[in-house]
Amino acid sequence: MKIVVCIKQVPATGADKRYTDDLTLDRTSVDAIINPLDEYAIEQALRLADAGIADSVTYLSMGPDQAAEALRRALAMGGDDAVLITDAALAGADEWATAKVLAAALDKLAPDVALMGMASDDARGSLVPGAVAAMRNVPLLSYGSELAIEGDAARVRRLSATGFDWITAPLPVVATVTDQVGEPRYASLKGIMAAKRKPLETWGLADIGLSADELKGAALTVVTDARPPEEKAPTERIENLPAAEAATKIADWLAARKLI
Amino acid sequence: MSNDILFLAEFAAGTPARSALELATGAAELASQSGGSAIGLAYGAGASDGAAALGAQGAARAIVLGNEDRPAITYAPALVAATRDAGLALLAPATPNGRDLAAAVVGSLHVPAFGPVRAVRIADGVVESEQATLQGSVVTTSRPADGAPSPSVVLVLANTFTPTDGGTGSAEVSAAPAAEESALTQATVAESHEAEAKVVNLEEATIIVAGGRGVASEEGFAPLRELAGVLGGAVGASRAAADAGWIPYQLQIGQTGKVVKPALYIGAGISGAIQHRVGMQTAEHVVAINKDPDAPIGEFADLFVVGDLFQIIPALTEEIRRRKGA
Ligand SMILES: Cc1cc2nc3c(=O)[nH]c(=O)nc-3n(C[C@H](O)[C@H](O)[C@H](O)COP(=O)(O)OP(=O)(O)OC[C@H]3O[C@@H](n4cnc5c(N)ncnc54)[C@H](O)[C@@H]3O)c2cc1C
Ligand SMILES: Nc1ncnc2c1ncn2[C@@H]1O[C@H](COP(=O)(O)O)[C@@H](O)[C@H]1O
Repeated sequence: MKIVVCIKQVPATGADKRYTDDLTLDRTSVDAIINPLDEYAIEQALRLADAGIADSVTYLSMGPDQAAEALRRALAMGGDDAVLITDAALAGADEWATAKVLAAALDKLAPDVALMGMASDDARGSLVPGAVAAMRNVPLLSYGSELAIEGDAARVRRLSATGFDWITAPLPVVATVTDQVGEPRYASLKGIMAAKRKPLETWGLADIGLSADELKGAALTVVTDARPPEEKAPTERIENLPAAEAATKIADWLAARKLI
Repeated sequence: MSNDILFLAEFAAGTPARSALELATGAAELASQSGGSAIGLAYGAGASDGAAALGAQGAARAIVLGNEDRPAITYAPALVAATRDAGLALLAPATPNGRDLAAAVVGSLHVPAFGPVRAVRIADGVVESEQATLQGSVVTTSRPADGAPSPSVVLVLANTFTPTDGGTGSAEVSAAPAAEESALTQATVAESHEAEAKVVNLEEATIIVAGGRGVASEEGFAPLRELAGVLGGAVGASRAAADAGWIPYQLQIGQTGKVVKPALYIGAGISGAIQHRVGMQTAEHVVAINKDPDAPIGEFADLFVVGDLFQIIPALTEEIRRRKGA
């Protein structure tokens, strides 16, 4: 059973991000990390490897050259090898283009499970996994708090409106997991040393049988404006008051806004 | 290509989800701008019985994708067949099911995707949407690229549109066109486990009282429930409170929980971490109660009350009760 974990390099959570003049994210200005939600996908894959259920764990990322750092960091946590898809034609890729590239790379790698995070930190669309599943015509098992393999099928435990379900589908599948799979492990010093010797290949578009033409400028969408959020009115504060007086003030505040 | 606006309408037990009513209203609004009709794409248990009633929110037609209670993603091939070359936009709720189905349309029809959006309109004959990205630090406006195929798929946050009610319109109901064979139909529910207590759908609440680690225990949520009760709202939580087992995960707000947009959010004993904030920052009014005067939530709340939640909340409940009684 072979797992490919798709990981994205993103700007560090909470970092001060900005857009460049051409309205794409300025990726040179901030620290880059593995998308935090992808670390849970890595953890889930490594648990299946530790349990002897997964025979191999490969990491796949599409991004600029620097994204190789994210792959090395993942390899330091565990796993076998990694592939970086990088190409000048991919700058500014939207979710459709990202899915198209990952789907082509996954066709070549042919895993039993393509495992992804539930969302990327910088876009939060959660659209890439479902689009990849549709493009590759394989089942989608999404938002798992756990991924299990049983014979020729995969199953995920997923919250329902009233409790939880186990949802199952025959392999191969695209699966996504949430932050409920358990805390991602740290890379040990030994892991960091070992990662340096693990294979990391770089592929261009031609290696996955795609042309720049087919990717239509890497996006079906255009950003026409990027601006900081509107300034909010300054915060009003209530402090150093006995509870009953504070309560009167809060109630007045709510009443003035017709909330009670 | 037509100027119609399609929207996803999820049903359970013959009743539309609140998102279906919101999106019907939004689709009707956009259709009046584009000069087309609002068309509902209904799926889930009882969809065919309930679909005509989407006319009350302004849907001219409703196409039934299927009537069974099965994983939403298995409706993707029918949805794709109904969406192909049909209309200017497809509105989908920014929920797990809505995202999965929207993604399958993007991957099958190679159409542009936007969202989750906080505003959407028709400008110069195309869909223009506004979204907060990079954890809310940037607001962008986007459109389909020149020559991109339609419809544009738009993920819409809960409470972006307020459902109109009381309409008497009835949508003309039809069956979905034949779908292509697809592996996406192969997901099935192997086991279903119900929670002991009923949980509300937080996305539908217009007032939320949320508790965090400061609530300290399962019993600690009792005063929050009372306050929510007098306000006519629901109780939510931070991940810390859900992880501690004080409250079900269905009530977690944030990046990996629900993204909510209520008229009023009251956060008690919640510090305001970025992952929590992205789930509630579009609330119209934010009130925070925290005993730490420097808690990060104090930097973006509209009203910041410094104090002990176990004193403030019961006093507030009492005060509101008194005013309502008067
Ligand atoms: C990948 C990832 C995803 C995440 N997703 C989410 C998510 O979806 N939702 C989410 O909420 N978090 C999420 N988190 C966790 C998040 O980073 C924070 O750890 C979490 O939100 C903290 O919860 P809290 O505010 O309840 O607890 P704390 O940060 O511990 O804050 C507790 C607050 O309570 C106050 N307090 C204590 N006692 C009282 C009292 N008696 N009266 C008044 N105030 C009191 C304290 O002053 C403090 O400010 C995620 C983290 C990661 C890494
Ligand atoms: N550029 C990328 N390279 C590798 N994986 C990606 C990339 N973009 C998205 N993904 C995967 O798709 C998931 C969902 O991303 P998104 O649809 O952007 O929210 C992420 O958690 C990753 O697992």
